[in-house]
Amino acid sequence: MRGSGSRLSAGLIFLLLLMLLVLLFTLDLLLGSTQLEVRDVLLSLFGNGTEHGEIIVMQFRLPKAVTAILAGAGMAVSGLLMQTLFRNPLAGPDVLGVSSGAGLGVALTLLTLSPLLSISPGSVLYGWSMILAAWAGAGAVMVVIMTVAARMRDIMSVLIVGLLLASAISSIVSLLQYFSNETMLKTYVIWTMGNLGNLSYMQIRILTLAVTAGSAMALIMVKPLNALLMGETFSMSVGVNMQRTRILLLATASIMAGSVTAFCGPIAFLGVAVPHITRLVFSSNDHRILMPGAAICGALILLVSDILSTLPGNGLMVPVNTVTSLIGIPVVLWIIAGKKGIGRRF
Amino acid sequence: MRTGTIIAETSDLTIGYKTSGRTNPLLEHLTLTARRGELVALIGRNGTGKSTLLRTMVALQQPLSGIVRISGNDIFTSDRSLLPKVVSFASTEPFAVHNIKVREVVALGRFPYTNWIGTLTSADELSVNEALQATGLLPLSDRNIDAISDGEKQRVLIARSLAQDTELLIMDEPTAYLDLPSRYSIVSLLKKLTREKGKCVIYSTHDLDTAINEADKIWLMSEKGVAEGAPEDLMLSRTIARAFESPLLSFSQTSGSFSFIRKSRGSVTLDATGSLRKLTERALHRCGYKTGQDSAIRIIAVETDGRMEWTLLFENRTECYNSIYELVGHLPVED
Repeated sequence: MRGSGSRLSAGLIFLLLLMLLVLLFTLDLLLGSTQLEVRDVLLSLFGNGTEHGEIIVMQFRLPKAVTAILAGAGMAVSGLLMQTLFRNPLAGPDVLGVSSGAGLGVALTLLTLSPLLSISPGSVLYGWSMILAAWAGAGAVMVVIMTVAARMRDIMSVLIVGLLLASAISSIVSLLQYFSNETMLKTYVIWTMGNLGNLSYMQIRILTLAVTAGSAMALIMVKPLNALLMGETFSMSVGVNMQRTRILLLATASIMAGSVTAFCGPIAFLGVAVPHITRLVFSSNDHRILMPGAAICGALILLVSDILSTLPGNGLMVPVNTVTSLIGIPVVLWIIAGKKGIGRRF
Repeated sequence: MRTGTIIAETSDLTIGYKTSGRTNPLLEHLTLTARRGELVALIGRNGTGKSTLLRTMVALQQPLSGIVRISGNDIFTSDRSLLPKVVSFASTEPFAVHNIKVREVVALGRFPYTNWIGTLTSADELSVNEALQATGLLPLSDRNIDAISDGEKQRVLIARSLAQDTELLIMDEPTAYLDLPSRYSIVSLLKKLTREKGKCVIYSTHDLDTAINEADKIWLMSEKGVAEGAPEDLMLSRTIARAFESPLLSFSQTSGSFSFIRKSRGSVTLDATGSLRKLTERALHRCGYKTGQDSAIRIIAVETDGRMEWTLLFENRTECYNSIYELVGHLPVED
């Protein structure tokens, strides 16, 4: 039967993707702006490397690679939830204003609060205040969106409110930027470019918790998500509590995307594009496959972006956001232009 | 056919909307029944509230007052989680996705029975297969929903409802946008399910013709309420005629069909037989002429060796034509 045949091949694809993930994770540890011996890197992981090697691997490359996996998976799953909930191929964490909310939090902190409280850039307090501000911003937007979602009959109005909110927020941020000094402005602009390498192990633990909790929630929602493929009316007619499902999906997506954005800055493009790439790879719309699939694909793509952003062996680093967009957009164009465009896959 | 037990029943039901504290009733005091093994067609003009009634009957919408009972239980007071096991609903809502197989869509009908992640047991697989079989979709079961016709898509929705294994199937306009053969095939499929599987099927439609010919019962909705009965009952009482007739449309009580009311242009005496007569007469009616005896206009239609010829006699002229199209183009206007 073809049904069991395609299930087998989905298993095979998962196996290949996981092997690729291990490979890329290792590559990400081996390659970097500073050249290290392969032996030194591997020994450093187990605490037997040279002092220089251990610092670079344990303090920089390992946390960065782990963050890439977490952030990639979090953004991708978040995007998948949004696309199914809104039944819109262009939905993603960004359109809900979650990213811009986080941006507003950071901008407020950077451009107004930190000069007032004289928190010096680079201090531990400074790092945490940025993260808390981003979280608060993303959370505030989330609360607004959920209040709207609880009242509006039509889910499309929620999408529109999200888009309007995002525009309004970016105007406020522009205003703040206009009145800030050059140093602050540059710090903010750099934050918007995304950075996977700024996290302490403590922060990675928090991010792990957020992404794991979000993924677990998403897994519980797999059945109603599959019903949603047939529309909200059908879902309700087979017993899905639509109000509760909407709120849970929005909360899950916001917690994941909000946390990733708080710790790593707004990671462009992943949330929208990875779900499409996953549908293409597995040729399925079953969320039991798509959910773990999107997590792995998101992690893979961000690992590749991270490897490329360090421009191996060059001593230079470019912002990861530029890389995700530059490698991602051609991929999406290729998919759209291909025989079976995104519209057909969705 | 013996009368089955009542599956769906509304009593003193008022449907409508509540907007900002004010109630906005569409229809009041609806008391209707549908029985096991019955095909019920809900007809009525646009905007009378057909969808609202159907949505209220599956608890997607609160009634303003009154009771809906399905399989004996009041759906608004009994355990809501049991409802998907007694009634299925297929709306006109478009699919959110294209990339999904026929079998996967039908399998979603098992939603009320599967575990938290939607795993199909062998019993579920069996139900899905039976539903595909009954709707004739087995050969298409591995096709993408995008790669089948609109009529087949409707079959998929029916199969999905069947897989849900409910006594009552409610469908909102299952024949909308379909061509004539597909409409008949969908309605005859629904009828087959009532006969062979004992289902009770309630469907709304604008296709009066099929409804009158196939349904066991009609729920006829108008601004005044919903009248129910066998199609012929509603024809006899002229309820259908009253609901749909307009200055331009008249309803024939015995044939159950509508015809346009046209301005009379005169009368014609027709000499012809068989289908040649019937079709020529039809064309004359379409152009506003009556057929009668001893009229000033006379038409003789004959068929010789497979060739047809119409001769038009009027005043002193005699003209011959080779088609009805040419004939009606030259008919004189009688003052």
